[in-house]
Amino acid sequence: MSTKVTVVKNVLDANDRLAAENRTLFADKKVFVVNLMSSPGAGKTSLLERTIQELQGTWKIGVIEGDIQDTYDADRIAALDIPVVQINTGGACHIDGNMVREALPGLNIDAMDLLFVENVGNLVCPAEFDIGEEMKIMILSTPEGADKPAKYPLMFQSSTALIINKIDLLPYVSFDLEKAKRDALILNPKLLIFEISCKTGDGLKDWTRWLNEQITALASK
Amino acid sequence: MHELSLIQSLLEMVEELGAEKGFQRVGVLRLSFGRLSCVDPQALRFAFDVEAPGTGAAGAELVFDILPGVLYCFACEEERTMTSHELQCPVCGGRQVILTGGTEELKLMELEVD
Repeated sequence: MSTKVTVVKNVLDANDRLAAENRTLFADKKVFVVNLMSSPGAGKTSLLERTIQELQGTWKIGVIEGDIQDTYDADRIAALDIPVVQINTGGACHIDGNMVREALPGLNIDAMDLLFVENVGNLVCPAEFDIGEEMKIMILSTPEGADKPAKYPLMFQSSTALIINKIDLLPYVSFDLEKAKRDALILNPKLLIFEISCKTGDGLKDWTRWLNEQITALASK
Repeated sequence: MHELSLIQSLLEMVEELGAEKGFQRVGVLRLSFGRLSCVDPQALRFAFDVEAPGTGAAGAELVFDILPGVLYCFACEEERTMTSHELQCPVCGGRQVILTGGTEELKLMELEVD
């Protein structure tokens, strides 16, 4: 004789609980945590390099680098004299709340204002796994095409800001900028959009100025 | 392949529920998720077949409630069920729309247990 048991629970409930604990810890320590997501090659590490150079005079910054394997990205960040911890997910396609928690002892977050978590390059899975961040920021680069919002809605829906990178390539690629922005806003009407080029530096100031304001607001709470 | 992580979390949840509510064998798991959430039903079944043996859910049936993509169309002033991935009203073709459903995350709704 079988019995029905009503549950109605998020399958990632265990991760959500760990992420909530991380979030409480970050709030206690007044660390502003950014979860940076994009597909491989969109420019996460380049954006980090540019952003760190702009903000490291103002804030104490740390980075958690998530990669399936290797330390190329972590080496690039360490070259900026910034504390960095590498998470090798060993094949997993995203970072989860527990991986971030385990990485924290390698960083002195007491002496930190801003922590970037560079997620594994992937437009699907990272959007689902809360890590306790203050905000998710995503990058879409122009060679990837303007169809990405419609194909990967969750990532656009869960991000606070969308950075459209490699705008210096617009003359050479068929990227419908207006369609990309319109579709992204259909998914998430509150989404902030920055158009930048990490190569030329175009638009970077608007992004770093905005981010600086967000960190200042948290620090003065 | 996030379906593997999802199934691992699901099986842990089922074990915890079994201990809490006093059941050992699960016959049916009813799951729900949005069509636009990038969860693939076939990959879920495959991951379940790999991971479930040896647990109380081994051999159980997976039933999916897949929630459709829904757009609110400002021109029609109506919610419309999406019929493709295009972010435009499937009735009037208008692009003054907002996504209101379809990205719901994977939830365990109900179990049938022995």
